[in-house]
Amino acid sequence: MRKIFREPLLVATLLLVFLGLGFFVLYPMVSVLTYPSIQDFASIPGNARYLRAIYNTFIMVLLSTTSAVVIGFLFAYTFTRTNVPLKKVFKTFALLPLFSPPFMVAFSYILMFGRNGLISYTLFGVRYDIIGWHGLWLSETIAFFPLAALIMEGVLQSIPPSLEYAGRNLGATGWKLFRTVTFPLARPGVAGAALLVAIYVLADFGNPIMIAGSFIVLPTEAWYRVSGWGDVTGAAVLTSILLLPAFFFFVFQRYWVGKREYTTITGKVTLVDIPPTKWILKWFLFGCCTLVSLLILCIFFGLVAGAFSKGWGFDYRPTLSHWHHIFSYSQPLINSLYYAIIAALVSASFAMVSAYLVARKEFVGKKTLDFIAILPAAIPGVFFGIGYSLSFNTPPIDLYGTSLIIIFSMIFWNIPIGYQTAHGGFQQIARSLGEAASNLGASSLRIFWDIELPLLKSAYISAFIVSFIRAVTTLSVIIFLVTSTNIVATFRILNLVNDGFLGQGAALTAALLFLTFVILGCARLLFGRKIELFKI
Amino acid sequence: MPDVHIRIINLTKKFGAVAAVDHVSLEIERGSFTTLLGPSGCGKTTTLRLMAGFYSVDEGEIYFGDRCVNDVPSHQRNATMVFQDYALFPHMTIFENVSYGLRINKLPPKEIEARVEKTLKFLGLEGLGDRSPGMISGGQQQRAALARSLVMEPEVLLLDEPLSNLDAKLRVSIRAELRQIQKKLGITTTYVTHDQEEALALSDSIAVMNQGKVVQVGTPWDIYYRPRNTFVADFVGIANFIRGKVTDSTPSGILMDTGEEVLRLDPRSSQASVGQKIVLSVRPETILLSKQPPEDQRNVLTGRIKTHSFVGHFIRYWVLCGTREFIVDLHDPSGLGVQEGQVFLQLHPSKLHLIPEGE
Repeated sequence: MRKIFREPLLVATLLLVFLGLGFFVLYPMVSVLTYPSIQDFASIPGNARYLRAIYNTFIMVLLSTTSAVVIGFLFAYTFTRTNVPLKKVFKTFALLPLFSPPFMVAFSYILMFGRNGLISYTLFGVRYDIIGWHGLWLSETIAFFPLAALIMEGVLQSIPPSLEYAGRNLGATGWKLFRTVTFPLARPGVAGAALLVAIYVLADFGNPIMIAGSFIVLPTEAWYRVSGWGDVTGAAVLTSILLLPAFFFFVFQRYWVGKREYTTITGKVTLVDIPPTKWILKWFLFGCCTLVSLLILCIFFGLVAGAFSKGWGFDYRPTLSHWHHIFSYSQPLINSLYYAIIAALVSASFAMVSAYLVARKEFVGKKTLDFIAILPAAIPGVFFGIGYSLSFNTPPIDLYGTSLIIIFSMIFWNIPIGYQTAHGGFQQIARSLGEAASNLGASSLRIFWDIELPLLKSAYISAFIVSFIRAVTTLSVIIFLVTSTNIVATFRILNLVNDGFLGQGAALTAALLFLTFVILGCARLLFGRKIELFKI
Repeated sequence: MPDVHIRIINLTKKFGAVAAVDHVSLEIERGSFTTLLGPSGCGKTTTLRLMAGFYSVDEGEIYFGDRCVNDVPSHQRNATMVFQDYALFPHMTIFENVSYGLRINKLPPKEIEARVEKTLKFLGLEGLGDRSPGMISGGQQQRAALARSLVMEPEVLLLDEPLSNLDAKLRVSIRAELRQIQKKLGITTTYVTHDQEEALALSDSIAVMNQGKVVQVGTPWDIYYRPRNTFVADFVGIANFIRGKVTDSTPSGILMDTGEEVLRLDPRSSQASVGQKIVLSVRPETILLSKQPPEDQRNVLTGRIKTHSFVGHFIRYWVLCGTREFIVDLHDPSGLGVQEGQVFLQLHPSKLHLIPEGE
């Protein structure tokens, strides 16, 4: 403790980090929670619409989480434990939804399976309507199973193969081995994945706003309250209800499940021969993966087709007019990129410094700092957005309609991404490196600059990219903050779709997606394959 | 009058409620090679890190010469450290690693280059300057880490188990090299290890530590042959312990009753009074083992071989004498072959080391 006061710069940085997090994370939260009166909260049980939103949200969390985890597990198992043909291809497909805006899945499924859907109507002549809870279920499953697959792949990979060999050696094969050895070892990981997916489903705004129709869930109902009736209090109440389970899942995942994982990840992927999979299991998995991959392919196909077709559902002649519209009014797209790049840069830097303080320095309040830095991961986007609109739209801090309010919300909503990446990075750098430098005369600042920062370069870049993708694709966070002056692409897409301009919506989504992939490709070219994305 | 370079007085460091270093006092002679030896968790590394300035002192003082360094930052102590994992900066070349300290001190580039080249050459690393640490062998990494410390021309060199990551053969050869370098440069060196053989082979002086305290300081010879207590005797090498009571003590010898026989030992430096409870420490290689009863009847025990283990240059027997078990090493067993059954053990009176009971 005495030591830290010898370095005034460090004290200043610490103060800055605490102030930043307090002001841009805690203060908006408090604003939302204290905005409604006690009576407003007390009236929840008497409000039928509230109850319906709660009930619907609960059902969707149950349905979508279950299906996403089951499919995720099938994929993860296929990647790590089988010789199913084309598994590399399946893996690539499974990653794609992670890079796209959350509402894209729902939007594309309307194009493919809606009343005028390419597959449902044009191909099969069925006037099937996907709008409703079943459409939402499908969209959320496809949107969030990749997350579950990625987490569980890591879990399955970290189970030492020797344990399975030992099981086999003692006579357990096939289903018995899976039931008695593999699955019990993976169970904490599966639970962790389920909780994370549940948080995403709870907070999902993009899919239900597109595809759920009159089936209201908490985040969309909060938005309808504000946009329809100007009922900010109601929105605050609804998002507060949302925060409770999200927060609970998050704490449960991090502090309970996290401690129960049996295997330690050593970074060493042991390559051992996979014993041949039974043909029936092999083709069952192959079938499942193919089906899901086709559904993913549909998303992109629908989007691109929509962007180039004259009138969706009746006139499929190619046209460039949608693109013409998009580029004649390109402000939303430019804003999106500009905000997301700045936000991702600042967010990754801020997170890096916070992680450095927690990982390397001793100070009072370290546990608190660690907690606040990961807290936004538990906060549903709509809650975060309302928090910003309640906190920073009125004097003393009036950022109404400015770029700043959007940028700040993107920065602090993404802090946990960079923080967790950097924190992991610091833990991998041996402490002795810093000590060696200090022994040779380097100050705290120089150690950070000469030693830690260069070694964390790849962590920083992956934090930047993930933050960027999340910022450029978010709808829930910015929906309460956007005005005509700071409009972003995702909000514009929502408007276009709502107003029936499906082609333009598809073109703008495709443009957004294309730019995201360009940025990703640049990073890959510049920094090689060392960057690990979505390592959660 | 020895020239004391480092003086540690009543040094204490606590982590939480546990005293990792507990009132340690130690004097280190200028130019000497001193080893802190002990099992893991004994406080040896903490002591070294306190000397390096990585931890703040809770109690006591550390003097380098006349200067109390308690509050002097690490890099102003003129004491550089070599780490167990070498801590070579993986994103810098060997040259950049070795020159790092000089660059921080803003020496002119010409001088930096000259000094680094000289040091690299001295340690047999010439030509490796532009390699990265991952591209050289473990032994070379070890020397590069040493070079990074030596180039600073420190007064004190601190080494934290620098050989523990090397394989057995390399360890022995680098050990000899290290000792030569240290002698040539005459730097006061403090070395931490848990490997007693390494400590014996390298040191001018060894401080054996246990549970945060220094239990014995002495030359390797002293530590091995005259351990002050059973912990040191047991930790450094292998010792057989025989417990008993002194029945007679004259200038010509001491007699000890073990309950099963009376043993005779040379008085040498140890003093014992009649009636005192003592422990004898006997090194396995000092015991004579024979199939026939020896002619000299003094200190002979009869026993039965329980098992053996052949290690190449010696064979080790576990011999049961009544309820006691003795470890006996016979060197160059090639002539005798493996012994079995009843044997006679002779303990030479001059090779029995006396430790007062309770130490």
